[in-house]
Amino acid sequence: MSDTILMRVTELAKRYGDTVAVDRISFAVAEAEVFTLLGPNGAGKTTTLEILEGIRRPDSGAIEVFGRQMPRIDRAAKQRIGVLLQEGNFEPYLKVREVLHLIGSFFPVARPVNEVLESISLANKANALVKTLSGGQKQRLAIGAALINNPDLVFLDEPTTGLDPQARRNIWEIVSALTRAGKTIILTTHYMEEAETLSDAICVMDHGKIIAKGSPRELTASLAQETFIEFAVPEVSEQQLARLACECETLREQAGLISLQTEDLIDTIDRLLSWSREEAVSIANMTVRQPNLEDVFLALTGRRLRE
Amino acid sequence: MKDVLRLAGAQIRVTLRERVSLFWFLVFPLLLLTLLTLIFSGLGEDPRMTFDIALFQQSVPQAEAPDFAGIVEHVFTDASKPVGDRPPLFRLTIHAADAVSRYEEEMERLRLGRLDLVVVVPAGFNDAVLSHLGGSDEAAAPIEIYTSAGRASSTMAHDVVRQILAGVDREILAIAGRFNREAAVSITRREIGTGTEAFSYIDFLLPGIVLMGFFTAGLFSVPGTILFGREQGILKRYWVTPLSTSRFLLGFGIGHMALCGVQFSLAWLLAAVAFGARVSFFSLLPALYLVLAIVVFLAFGFLIASLAKTGNAGMAIANIVNMPMMFLGGLFFPISDLPLPLKILMMGNPLTYLADGLRTSLGVDVAVFPILATFGVPLAWILVSVAVAAHRLRLEEAT
Repeated sequence: MSDTILMRVTELAKRYGDTVAVDRISFAVAEAEVFTLLGPNGAGKTTTLEILEGIRRPDSGAIEVFGRQMPRIDRAAKQRIGVLLQEGNFEPYLKVREVLHLIGSFFPVARPVNEVLESISLANKANALVKTLSGGQKQRLAIGAALINNPDLVFLDEPTTGLDPQARRNIWEIVSALTRAGKTIILTTHYMEEAETLSDAICVMDHGKIIAKGSPRELTASLAQETFIEFAVPEVSEQQLARLACECETLREQAGLISLQTEDLIDTIDRLLSWSREEAVSIANMTVRQPNLEDVFLALTGRRLRE
Repeated sequence: MKDVLRLAGAQIRVTLRERVSLFWFLVFPLLLLTLLTLIFSGLGEDPRMTFDIALFQQSVPQAEAPDFAGIVEHVFTDASKPVGDRPPLFRLTIHAADAVSRYEEEMERLRLGRLDLVVVVPAGFNDAVLSHLGGSDEAAAPIEIYTSAGRASSTMAHDVVRQILAGVDREILAIAGRFNREAAVSITRREIGTGTEAFSYIDFLLPGIVLMGFFTAGLFSVPGTILFGREQGILKRYWVTPLSTSRFLLGFGIGHMALCGVQFSLAWLLAAVAFGARVSFFSLLPALYLVLAIVVFLAFGFLIASLAKTGNAGMAIANIVNMPMMFLGGLFFPISDLPLPLKILMMGNPLTYLADGLRTSLGVDVAVFPILATFGVPLAWILVSVAVAAHRLRLEEAT
C-alpha cells in the first residue's frame, strides 16, 4: 500500500425518483490497498460502485482516477479497470475460453487466456460451457474476465455472495494474490468477516451515506474498551430479561441469543451468574469475544448488517 | 475490429448451440419449406383440375346483331362455376375490350407459369362469324389461345378449351342451320416463352420462406438478445469494458447477417436439391432485397425491444405481431387470393413489398407494386424503427 491516491470521490450523489441511493459521499482510495464499502443491502454500495465502474451516471459529484478528473468514467479509464459485477453474467452457451477471448478483445491489450485460466484455477474447464459451471466456478470466471486486461484498479462487488465456504475461501485467495501483485481493489461486501480479513480501509455505508471510515483496527478500536458476552437462554420472560438489562451496560436479544456489551467483563460475568441462579434461568453456549465490524455497525445504526 | 468479429462469432456460436434458437433459426424454415412444398405443389396427387385462364374479350356486341363472342364468354363463365362438390374447371379472369394495359401483364404471368392460358377473342369476331355463315369466302373467325411453352398444365388447358370451343362452333352452326359448313371459329395456338421460364410453386415459395426466416430471426433474436441480455447482466458485463454501444451493435449486426446467410443458404440448397427449385438469387436486385430485408427486420427487432421492458414482454409482443404479419405478407400465397379487408392490412406490411419486389426481381411473379414502393416502404420502416428505438431503448444504462 502506498500513499499515492489512485481514486478520489467527492460529494458523489445519485437518486432514483424520491429515493436517495447515494448521498454526497466522499472518500479516497490509495494505490495498492483493498478499500471496502461495507453496509447492509440497500446501503448504496452497488450504486456507488456502478458509478465508479462507468455504467451509471452520477447526479452530481466529482471523480478523480489515475490522476484525471472526469464527470463519468471514460473509455480510457476503463482500459485500466477490471470489474466483477454483482449481477454480471456470461452467455451460458459460450465456452469458458471463448468468454475470456471475447472480453479480452474489448481491450487494446489483454493477457494470454491460458495465463488467466491458470490464475483462476479454471484451466481444466477451458472448454466447458458456462452453463455447466458451478456457482464458485462462474464467480472465478467472472474474476478472470475482470483481470483479463491486467487492470491497475479492480472492482469486486459482493464477490462471495451466495457461495459456499470453500468457494468463498477460494475467492479470498485470489483477492490476496491480487493484493500481493500490487493491484488496487475496491470491494463491497456485507460479510464483516470478509471485510475484516481482506481490507486495508473500510467505509461503512448506510442509507446512501458514509457513517464511518478507517482501517478495520481503527473502526473496532472505537469499541475496544468493550467486551461482548453472548449466550443462549431456552426460556426467559421479558421481566427476567429486564432485571438482567438494568444490571448491564447494553443488552440485545434476538432469536433466543442474548448479547451483553460491557466494559467490566469480570463484574458482568459475576452478576450474570447470580442472575441465572436467582431467576432459575439456564445459560447455554456462552462465548466471550472482542468487538468486530458487525458490532461497530450495530453501535452506529442500532441494526445488524444483515437485517 | 477484433472486438466486432468476436462479438459476431459469439452470437453465431450461441445461436447454433442453443437448441431452441437453432430450431427456430435454421430448422423451422426448412421444415415449413418442405411441408408447404409437399402440400401445395401437388406432389403425389392427381393432376390439378382447375386451370387459371385469362380471357380478353375484345369484340364489342352490336345492337340487333348476334353476339357470338358473348356466347364464347358465356361458355367460359359457365365452366368457371363449381358443379356439385367438384371444383370448377376454370379460374377465369375476363378482361374487357378496353383493358389493353392488362394484356402484357397477363402474358407475363402466363410466361412465368402463374396462368395456364390466355384466350383472346379479337375485335370484329362477331362480323367474321356472320360473314362466314353468310357464305362469303372469308376465313373462319379467329380465336387466339396463348399457351406457356413446356408446361403440361398449359397444354392440358389448351386441349380442354379447344374441345369446348369446338362445341361452341357446332352450336353456332346449328343455330344458323349450316351443318355442312366448315367450322365458323378457327383456333390459333401460340406458345410464349421458351419453356425454361415457367416456375413451379417451390420457386414462388422459396423467396417467401427466406423472407420469413429473416423476419422471425429479427423479430425474436434481437429482443431476446437485448432484453434477456440486459436482464441477466450479460450486456452490463460488456459496458464495464471500453466496448462502445456502436461497436456492440456492429458486431451483433454482422453476426445476425451471417446467421441469416446460413439460413438462406440451407433453404436454397434444400429447395434446389430436394424440390428442383430453379430460381437464382445471384444478381444485384435480389441481393439488394435480401440485404434490405435483413436490415428491416433487424430494425424491427430493435423497435420491439424498445417497446418492452422485460424479455418476456418482448417475446410476447413479437409473438403477437409474428403470425399476422407473416401471413399477411404474401409470403406463402399470392396476394390476390386474399379478401379485401386483409388486403388492406397487407398494405402497411413491409413483408408484402419485400416479397413482391424480391419475387419480381427473381422473375417468378408479376409486380403488384412499383419498384419504388418495394424499396420505399421497407426503408420507411427502417427509419421509423430506428428513430423509435434510438429514443426509447437504453442499452448501456439501466434505470
